[in-house]
Amino acid sequence: MQKVIYNISLYLSFLKISLKEILIYRIDCIVGIFSQLIVQLVSLVFMFVVFQNTENIAGWNFQQILLLFGITRISIGISGYCFDGLYDIGPKYIKSGEFDKILLRPVHPLISIIGNSREFVSIADFILGLVLTIVMLVQLAIPVTILLIIKILFFSIVGALIIGAINTIFSISSFWTYRSNEVIWSFYRMYTFTEYPITIYNKFIRILITIILPFAFVAYYPTMAYLGLNTYIIYLSPVVAVVLWFVAVKLWNLALNKYRSTGN
Amino acid sequence: MAIIEVKNLVKTYKIIEKEEGLIGYFKNLVKPKYKEFTAVNNVNFSIEKGELVGYIGENGAGKSTTIKMLTGLLTPTSGNVIVNGIIPNQKRIENNKNIGAVFGQKTQLWWDLPVIESFRLIKKMYKIPENEYRKNLKKFTELLDLEELLEKQVKNLSLGQKMRCEIAATFLHDPKIVYLDEPTIGLDVFVKEKIRKFIKDINREKKTTVILTTHDLKDIEDVCDRIILLDKGQIIYDGEKQKFKDTYGRYVIAELIVNNIKDNIILNNAEILEQNDNKLKIKFSHDETTIVKIMDEISKFCNIEDIHMKEAELEDILKEIYKGVHTNVKNNDATSKNAI
Ligand SMILES: Nc1ncnc2c1ncn2[C@@H]1O[C@H](COP(=O)(O)OP(=O)(O)O)[C@@H](O)[C@H]1O
Ligand SMILES: [Mg+2]
Repeated sequence: MQKVIYNISLYLSFLKISLKEILIYRIDCIVGIFSQLIVQLVSLVFMFVVFQNTENIAGWNFQQILLLFGITRISIGISGYCFDGLYDIGPKYIKSGEFDKILLRPVHPLISIIGNSREFVSIADFILGLVLTIVMLVQLAIPVTILLIIKILFFSIVGALIIGAINTIFSISSFWTYRSNEVIWSFYRMYTFTEYPITIYNKFIRILITIILPFAFVAYYPTMAYLGLNTYIIYLSPVVAVVLWFVAVKLWNLALNKYRSTGN
Repeated sequence: MAIIEVKNLVKTYKIIEKEEGLIGYFKNLVKPKYKEFTAVNNVNFSIEKGELVGYIGENGAGKSTTIKMLTGLLTPTSGNVIVNGIIPNQKRIENNKNIGAVFGQKTQLWWDLPVIESFRLIKKMYKIPENEYRKNLKKFTELLDLEELLEKQVKNLSLGQKMRCEIAATFLHDPKIVYLDEPTIGLDVFVKEKIRKFIKDINREKKTTVILTTHDLKDIEDVCDRIILLDKGQIIYDGEKQKFKDTYGRYVIAELIVNNIKDNIILNNAEILEQNDNKLKIKFSHDETTIVKIMDEISKFCNIEDIHMKEAELEDILKEIYKGVHTNVKNNDATSKNAI
């Protein structure tokens, strides 16, 4: 337990440091946040156009879909801020030889790497998601209680952890291909699947995003719960997150051992 | 028990053999062909707490590879490494708590932040007690002259300034062992001297074990008591630095200012290294002749105005060893070193 606390507090110190580093590049940061907001607004416009021609998607109406979109963005925002450092492994650490320096610390390298994340732009996702979620809850006449807010925040963090674990697994490829960015990003984009109800997909993709890469637990099942459509499956999310992290860290350690024996 | 124990250590790299052309490229993709290269070949040594060891050898001799295995960055192909009672490769993080390491010019400091912020983070990572941290920070600041650097961003420091901060960061948590792989590369003489003095001071006070590799053999002359000489992945000498010099450096280099050279100078027991109109550089061994005899010989050919002598330095001796002058180094010492 003490070790867990030590690791978490170290992680927070790293985050604090990376926040300071971000603030040095204030302009970059503000421009980044704005461009991210514009990207999100474009996808919202796209949805709006879709709903000009149809009443609902897979039984979900416009407000419900937007709620799902908002919930997704909250998780993406958190995970982006906390875990996007994983994309840097190839170009930033392995290629430059900086990885050695991280391996020499008395801390698990994953803590160093994800703690060094600096994707501050994802705050745009978080804010947009939060605003959209609250507006849609009101529109859908779902009472916005303190309990509901806590629940949403809790399960959004769990969702972010799920995305983080999946990222961790995909980041393994960067041990061997410096330019793994594109590879990870393409899988990362699969979270966009969860911006729509999974029932619109065929069986293969449904299995993929529920069981293999359980993105469905990030936003889809939680949103079902908030809408009162399925109130129980949401409680599987934390279990999924824990199991996934367990698997991710084990696989990552295996890859690290392999990497250390080949001599990069 | 020795603090570092290395037995039959081997590291073999697998290198993908590249084939030419598009077909070769696809062949490689499907079934790559590997070539093996042994960078460290059956190395044995043991180091006691508090020793200052120079780990030297030509470029590509396998120094960095060895140090990477000692720190657990690299898994040995075979053989054993035990550092401070643990196997670094298996308990890397545990091992990291006891060691500090510098690899060339790579910095462990946070690029965009003031130096002191990096120090604070290191304090947290290594759980350095507050009073220890304060004490070390104060002392290191004095010894390495960091006062004005602490508040500056790392990216704005010159190489020499950065390296001084780097060295301080490496010793901050009172590591039992410090590995320094080419720490003085590219630095000017003053910074080098500061760093050497720092290493010696800390070693004296805290009995820190230091393993140092460097291109600048003055570092070794100044800092180390013992040298381990590596050649093509194998140890060819391991022992006291002074004994090494006594054994292989029993010669003197003399520079003479002369004039009126009459003839081609031919000397019986000395080797002429350099000669021009008024300068003569010679090398001779105490075993074979004396300076008086030599001067007597030389004066037959010219007038001697001045003479300046120096003992053989590590650098001179090593150059000769690499050239193959002392072919006996390998044979004699590879066997005797185990007794040391
Ligand atoms: N990752 C690697 N893959 C293949 N060969 C390597 C690798 N690292 C080092 N080598 C080779 O191993 C030999 C020893 O390298 P190194 O330990 O870096 O030497 P040194 O530090 O003594 O200059 C060199 O010939 C080098 O080319
Ligand atoms: Mg080297």
